[in-house]
Amino acid sequence: MLNSSNKTNNKLALVVDDSITQCKALSMLLDEENYQVITAHDGASAVKTYIKYQPDLVLMDINMPIMNGFEAAKKIKNLSSDTLCPLLFITNLDTEQAYISSLDAGGDGILVKPFSPQVFKAKINSLQRINDLYSEIKTLQQEQHKDAELAEELMSGVIESRNYALDKISIGKQAAALFSGDIQLTALCPNHDVNILLGDFTGHGLRSTIGAIPLSETFRAMTKKGFSLIDIINQVNKQLFDLLPVDLFLCATFVSISSHEKSAYIFNAGLPNAYLFDEQGKIKHKFSSTHPPLGVLPELMDNSRITIVPIDSLDRVVLISDGIIEAGNEAGALFGLDRFEVAAKEGILQQNLVSTVMKSINEFCAGKVQEDDISLIDIPCGGWRSEIDITEKSGFDTIYNMEEAYQITSPDWQWHLKLSGQSLASVNPIPMIMNQISDIEGDGKHWQSVYTILTELFVNALDHGVLKLSSKLKNSAEGFAQYFNEREKRLKYLNTGFISIAISYHSLAAGGKMIITFKDSGEGFDSLQLFKRNSFAIDNKQILSGRGIELVNQLSDSLEYQENGTLVEVVYIWQSTKN
Amino acid sequence: MTVKSDISDDYKHLSIQVEKRFDFSQHQHFRDAYIKHTEEGTEFLLDLSQADYMDSSALGMILLLKDHAENIGGKIVINKPSEAVNKILEIAQFHRLMTIVH
Repeated sequence: MLNSSNKTNNKLALVVDDSITQCKALSMLLDEENYQVITAHDGASAVKTYIKYQPDLVLMDINMPIMNGFEAAKKIKNLSSDTLCPLLFITNLDTEQAYISSLDAGGDGILVKPFSPQVFKAKINSLQRINDLYSEIKTLQQEQHKDAELAEELMSGVIESRNYALDKISIGKQAAALFSGDIQLTALCPNHDVNILLGDFTGHGLRSTIGAIPLSETFRAMTKKGFSLIDIINQVNKQLFDLLPVDLFLCATFVSISSHEKSAYIFNAGLPNAYLFDEQGKIKHKFSSTHPPLGVLPELMDNSRITIVPIDSLDRVVLISDGIIEAGNEAGALFGLDRFEVAAKEGILQQNLVSTVMKSINEFCAGKVQEDDISLIDIPCGGWRSEIDITEKSGFDTIYNMEEAYQITSPDWQWHLKLSGQSLASVNPIPMIMNQISDIEGDGKHWQSVYTILTELFVNALDHGVLKLSSKLKNSAEGFAQYFNEREKRLKYLNTGFISIAISYHSLAAGGKMIITFKDSGEGFDSLQLFKRNSFAIDNKQILSGRGIELVNQLSDSLEYQENGTLVEVVYIWQSTKN
Repeated sequence: MTVKSDISDDYKHLSIQVEKRFDFSQHQHFRDAYIKHTEEGTEFLLDLSQADYMDSSALGMILLLKDHAENIGGKIVINKPSEAVNKILEIAQFHRLMTIVH
């Protein structure tokens, strides 16, 4: 039946008419338009031929035996849901009803006989234009779909697969029909704090992932180097501002869980409330957005602050994206915060928050396709590896000749830094020191302990020495918040005072020794008293402050206060790990 | 058309009203409403009292308008956002970036 033709057009038309003469006439006209033509003489065989050859155009008579044109058209249109396949009725029924019925049957037009070849060709060409437009849109749609798939792959495969502790932190995510930019990151700090981010980039598909790679790189690299959460947020904001076009930005919540400080640091820029739940699912705290999304302003706004709250080990921090609130059902109702809170409580009691909430959302939406990504992160506040891990200490004395370690040798290198006044508020020296150490000595597992020692000593020198804050405040949950408010205020107006830091590095036969000294401009304190009080308090597990020094004491080989408590010298010794 | 605009006689105040859904589908209409208005110091009054839904791409569109306004030494004021829209603006803390009149 296939009309062989040498013409270059590879378009195929199906002509359906019970009159063979009529079929021939139409075939000739189509041939002039470079169509190859196949024919059928009744509705039923038209449908069969359509299925077999998938033509690009169908011309259909109305009155035919076995199955009439309307029936055949309906069947063919049902079969061609993926393509337009223009269908034109050719008839001599010049009635209003015939016109309406042909369009109702899915026809794209009707041509009433008799007509001139010019009219026929004009009609075919106009259908062809519509068909071309349709395929163009189809192609674009497929490309967009591929981009979205790529975006999703990029997010989950490349970026999120490097997340930390996914056995403890549960992440629930459900991408929208068109992936729309949710990102979840977790990373471990050198002192074993855990940083978590839930972000939502504006836009859909690939467009929404432009910022994801720099975001995840910055978040991971800075976390690993021990930068504070606010430093990381600042840098992410700057980077996204430089990188993204004006209308693209990142709504995000950043969390840092510090087990040894028993506190959570939270910053919400543009996402719905983040939550702190207790083990009964009761809400202890809501963290609403306090800052415009990141990437909108060149710098974070003045007075941007991180909320710090005390946590118990059975508490959970839960982050959600707006896809959860805006998940809708067919009736147009939204899932909303209230339903989320109920589902979250139930989930905590059943010890599977993520799946309970997801199930509740899916039941509510009852299969309606969502326009936005849905994601939530459930973070336990306890169960993290404690830093006070004595096995990590060198165990030096059992292996080593003690004399060598305590001989007075000249250091391989020394490093000094003195920060005064406002520079104390704006500079975090710890990442600088850690960079210095790893630049000279390479990576080492024991640098984690050095990091912790440095951080604790610096915080003590700054908070209690220079800023003269009393750690007693931190003994109660209310005082805890007050402490951080006061700290922030004093830092802001700080224009006197100094901290000077010195590090000297001595290599030993099978390891090394580091002497770390901190001197501050404060008034000093009774160091003996501190140790007495602390050993009592830690035995009784009832104190929130003074843990820092106890930690340093346990990690280091010696810790000594001099000059009335304003100078502290810590010696840290390690042996090289044998590979 | 759910984006309407109206320029004052002195060309200094352009009011733009977005109705119903303010989302990416309005992108072109919204941009068309302001892009030709480059009179120095123009105040762009964005009326969102009749908008009952807004998504994050609409926030992006508002930021583009803000950029446009600031480039010609003008400013943007959001007027009477509906409750649903205001919730979105609040989460995004947009009152810290521009004037919102309730």
